[in-house]
Amino acid sequence: MLNMFRILLLLLIVPFFGCTQDSSSGLSGRLLFQDQPLAQAQVEIYLRADKDRSVQPFAVGNTDAAGNYRVELPPGRYFVIGKQRGEGADGHPRMLMADAPGNPYAVERGTTAVPPFNLREMGREGGLSAAADSGVNGQLSTAGQPLDRAFVYVYTETGSGLIGPSFGEAVQADKDGRFQIDLPAGRYHLVARRRAAGSRSGELAPGDLNGTYPGNPVEVRRGERLQLGAFPLTVIDPAVRAKRQAAGTFAATGTLLTGKVLDPQGEPVRGVHVFAYLDSRMVGKPVHISTPSAADGQFQLHLGGGGTYFVGARSNYGGPLEPGEWVGTFDGRPDHAVTVAKGSKQSLGPLTVREVW
Amino acid sequence: MKTLIALLLLLLGVGPVYAQTLTRDTRWSGELRFAESVTVPAGVTLEVAPGTQVRFTAGRLEVAGRLVAEKAQFTGENWDGLTLKGCDAQTRLTEVSVRGAKTGILVQGGSPILDRVTARDNEVGVELRGKSAATVRDGVFRGNRKVGLFVKDDSVARVTGCRFEANGKYGAYIYRARPAAFSANRFNDNPIGLMVAYFGSDPRVEGNRFENNETAIEVDRAAQPELHGNLLQGNRVALFLQRRADPLVTGNRFTDNQVAIKLAYSSYPRITGNDFAGNRLALQLEFQSSTWEREQGAAARAGEVAAVGAFGSGQGAKNVTEDERRPATLDGTIDARGNWWGEAGNLELARGGERGNPTFIHDGRDQPTFVEKGQNYPLDTVVFAPWSATPHVKASLK
Repeated sequence: MLNMFRILLLLLIVPFFGCTQDSSSGLSGRLLFQDQPLAQAQVEIYLRADKDRSVQPFAVGNTDAAGNYRVELPPGRYFVIGKQRGEGADGHPRMLMADAPGNPYAVERGTTAVPPFNLREMGREGGLSAAADSGVNGQLSTAGQPLDRAFVYVYTETGSGLIGPSFGEAVQADKDGRFQIDLPAGRYHLVARRRAAGSRSGELAPGDLNGTYPGNPVEVRRGERLQLGAFPLTVIDPAVRAKRQAAGTFAATGTLLTGKVLDPQGEPVRGVHVFAYLDSRMVGKPVHISTPSAADGQFQLHLGGGGTYFVGARSNYGGPLEPGEWVGTFDGRPDHAVTVAKGSKQSLGPLTVREVW
Repeated sequence: MKTLIALLLLLLGVGPVYAQTLTRDTRWSGELRFAESVTVPAGVTLEVAPGTQVRFTAGRLEVAGRLVAEKAQFTGENWDGLTLKGCDAQTRLTEVSVRGAKTGILVQGGSPILDRVTARDNEVGVELRGKSAATVRDGVFRGNRKVGLFVKDDSVARVTGCRFEANGKYGAYIYRARPAAFSANRFNDNPIGLMVAYFGSDPRVEGNRFENNETAIEVDRAAQPELHGNLLQGNRVALFLQRRADPLVTGNRFTDNQVAIKLAYSSYPRITGNDFAGNRLALQLEFQSSTWEREQGAAARAGEVAAVGAFGSGQGAKNVTEDERRPATLDGTIDARGNWWGEAGNLELARGGERGNPTFIHDGRDQPTFVEKGQNYPLDTVVFAPWSATPHVKASLK
């Protein structure tokens, strides 16, 4: 009887002890803009460095009137990004953004202090704000000859693998391959691409040219215009591209979604890609892409692992929707999500697409 | 070696040829069949002799080098068509026909010449994109299931002397492009002859003929083309403007259409110097209200912008500011001064004066309000005075 009483007492007491345990580990710091505290900015916490735009942050917080923030987090290693969307002095839309320079930060017990850091202003289209007195100059070439019409892209981070739409700036070289990019002081990674179609964005195809500046990263100082010299590009080899695709975007894995792309009348639609996002907004770069649907509408979407994915489909990838494109979402759930176990093959059934005009 | 390759291809005769990349200049002739794509890389020329018939059962002919083809036929079922990637004006297709493809000819950049090309029974006949400066002249676009000719993506092509007939949805579609010329073309028997849609689509469309189409020209979603010197005759609706379409409409002749110009949803064009004759209605306003625009327009467009994304609606809207899409003036009127309304029309105007209610205009004078989501909005009215006493348009357009 006494033992029973002790057990009951223990059961009653333990939860209270649990409640009194210290759970206040996390990160704190201050966001600045032009060395001034930045109020009402957002702090995003990521688990990995490859925080492309399709990944939702692990946690978010906001700065107070003094620019200070604190985010409670369990022990671990975290990557911190500061952001603020608002209006500039002249009323134009303004985006401020920066990675915490010391990323990642370890959180153990208590609060880890992140040193204050300045956010940088991105341009109206998400690009970097140009500075008239600093930047880079160079000349694109291929096989030792100047290369015209190519685009030079400026990335501020390497998490995206220097591909995709997360570049801060893009300029087109002139007919002699020369380019000039006005940039604020900072550290940048440059790549250049020329698509046969002449377009600024889109997947590269065999015959297109591609190059990563050999001196990456380049450090631009205030008031300095850096002369980059020759920036070589090489032609994309079809065999190399196929090999990379097989190992990359379209890699076959043991985890996949299958289904059939149909039009509203139930007829199969070919040539439509199916995309998997980790972010319910389904914007930015998808984490996995299927090859185009076959003539009977069948598709296979290989996934990197198990988890919940948000699934959509469209004819093109990259750029806004265009008239004539097919577009649709997986509608098995209202949020377009599907949860798949690692190593399993799951059928989504029909995925209905409509034409955009 | 060139001869050897040509001979090899000829020897292959009608047997299927599988995916290949031409590594040297090549000449095709006779009858050829391909089961997968053929690539002509940069630096390589493919010449297709007159009378050659090329049939694809899958894949495409992709040219990054040069293609010179005359009086040749490219056909197939469920094939992707010809793709010209950055080809210069040395790529020339003359009297070539392309049938049965997803996109008959896809021109990505460059400045190839498509001379008297026929695109029939494809999903899309020809698509020009990637700032292409292609020349498309005297072509025929017939029976393509979706669009005869797509001009997209800042293309500055010259499109002249072409015929667009009986295509499935649109004879031609201009999307965010301003062709260097879009003139002397004829549009017949299409559901929509010419579509100009989305902000940034502001071509000058001049001297074309539109006859017997369901809708001859549709301007939609903040497009602002200049429509000048066209003949629009015998269509159900000659010009349909909707969703902030603000074209400049000058020097055109609208005749024998059921409705010459129909306006809806906050479209505020300038219509002047045109001739209207024999139309059942010259102007028809429908769901067109400055009050609605003031109260609901921005909110409706904000909804579109918010939904922008690869899988949202409102495509194309994200690069447009509300300032750019807001009407310049919102006083409840449509400016249609300085037009000639036909002999009968002018007589009627003379009788009623500028405060009259002409029978050939349907506006707020005929229908004071319309209902949208349970609320009444006043229908705009047309300002038609002063009007022109004589026709404007040259006899050549009649």
